[in-house]
Amino acid sequence: MENTPLPPSSSADEILPVTPSDTTEATPEPAAAFAPRTDLSRLSRHAEAIRQELGKVIVGQHALAELLLTAILADGHVLLEGVPGVAKTLTAKLLARTLAVPFSRLQFTPDLMPSDVLGTAVFLPNKAEFEFRPGPIFASIVLIDEINRAPAKTQSALFEVMEERQITQDGTRYPMTDPFVVLATQNPIEQEGTYRLPEAQLDRFLFKLHVGYPTMEEEVAILQGHHAGFGGTALEKVQSVMTADDLRELRQQVQRQHVEPKLLEYIARLVGQTRVHKGLYLGASPRASLALLNGAKALAALRGRDFVTPEDVQYLAPHVLRHRILLTPEREMEGHTADDVVKQIVQLIEVPR
Amino acid sequence: MLLLLAASPVAGQPARKHDLARRVLPADRTTRVPLRQPTAGQLREFREQHEFHYVEVKSEQSGWDLFMARLWHWLGELLQTRGGKVVWEYGIYALLVVLLVFVVLKLMQVDITRALGRAPRRSPLLYDTAAEDIHALDFNALLGEAEAAGNYRLAVRLGYLFVLKQLTDQGLVQWQPDKTNHDYLRELSAGTLRPAFRELTQQFEYVWYGEQNDLSAAHYALARDARVAFQRQLATTRHAA
Repeated sequence: MENTPLPPSSSADEILPVTPSDTTEATPEPAAAFAPRTDLSRLSRHAEAIRQELGKVIVGQHALAELLLTAILADGHVLLEGVPGVAKTLTAKLLARTLAVPFSRLQFTPDLMPSDVLGTAVFLPNKAEFEFRPGPIFASIVLIDEINRAPAKTQSALFEVMEERQITQDGTRYPMTDPFVVLATQNPIEQEGTYRLPEAQLDRFLFKLHVGYPTMEEEVAILQGHHAGFGGTALEKVQSVMTADDLRELRQQVQRQHVEPKLLEYIARLVGQTRVHKGLYLGASPRASLALLNGAKALAALRGRDFVTPEDVQYLAPHVLRHRILLTPEREMEGHTADDVVKQIVQLIEVPR
Repeated sequence: MLLLLAASPVAGQPARKHDLARRVLPADRTTRVPLRQPTAGQLREFREQHEFHYVEVKSEQSGWDLFMARLWHWLGELLQTRGGKVVWEYGIYALLVVLLVFVVLKLMQVDITRALGRAPRRSPLLYDTAAEDIHALDFNALLGEAEAAGNYRLAVRLGYLFVLKQLTDQGLVQWQPDKTNHDYLRELSAGTLRPAFRELTQQFEYVWYGEQNDLSAAHYALARDARVAFQRQLATTRHAA
């Protein structure tokens, strides 16, 4: 970069002063002057408490914990993808435990039927009528383990409940309780006995999070904890620190976050670019734009701000978009991933400032 | 008996054919052959039809044709030479190989500019950056206008862009429209400038992204003082360098 001299107008002394009439006000304290207008202390306390509870068992994975909290606050479902043994299921179970809400777990298998998930109508001979018996989906936190082991027929049963938070059985609507969050896990490597999730279902997940291997130090810490004999009672150590009412209130606070209009345009441009990118066969839907917006609002709140910055949007873009786009066969053959393309797209769009 | 039967009728047939071939029919000069001619209307109709419009094509050569003819003639002569024959024999294969490599690279969408020693091509930005080109803005004038109008939110933004321009001019950060404020913060080497720039960034983000449209003059004065102090610090750094 050329080290050009500053132009005369750039001299700090030449900056135009504020008119005297403006400075007659009492000068505020610098720290208080640029503090958030919304009180986010309650949200921060709850988030910190959940992080601490998770930290009792999970070593490292701070970014994963933050993103899971973001999804919970943004009222979104999460798909956790990682190789076996990286604590996907454990993390989801622990997160559910930190919330004092009904929890259920579903192990998806190839022979699972939609009625095994949603529930079924049972004939009662004494009353001579059918009665609906709710399935395990009727909970606030639903952990679906190995979601890609069930065929499309069973996956389709989740479409309505994941998007509309309700199921319809025999013409009757059964709403879910609020909050309702699906945490699903899948293994990216295994091919035998697995099915690719339908695009319509993938689109219903707010984030797809990659759960990676721990660092060397983290792995040593895991071994030390296990050696000290704390592995078997891990779940018992974690306590509930947030109620459903707390969560609903915090979600309302997240919804009121400030978003500068140019940032909305920025989100739309990012998502719109996935629809015209030549390396993509399928772009992201407007639901992705909404996911990016809601996620960014929640992340900003978690980071102590009552407004969204482009940094929040850029940080969440891969997690929101990677499962909503399809690469062209040429790009796949070249070894590119969805994350590579999202990174390219982020570099294409100017940050609003 | 069989011989008689076989000889009598079959032997007679070739003789009759021979006689017929020799016979010449007399010309018929008595029958009147009517001469048929198209009517004037039919002729007019034929003349109007597209298929009967014959146009003589003039074989005049244009300047381009002459140039090409001479070029081919010159090439033909050149290829008759010893060197030309070698080029014709091997050069054509080399050309085909280059063409094939180019097509493959194009199909694979490989950017070959890096191989030629140049920086890889950046895709064009979708934004119209002209309005935000910090090197083209007269910040002193714009800041004066914003402050005079009491638009302190805009003034904070302009002040921050002004600082970014100065950092870029001094080579401390690389201005790029797709970078976030925190990218610039990370780019600044550790020193006294970084905490001051972090504070400016925080102020800008609170005011601009936080939509603080009702920013008071007293609050703005704080932000402006912090910026001016940073700019003085930056000027000192430049002089020291």
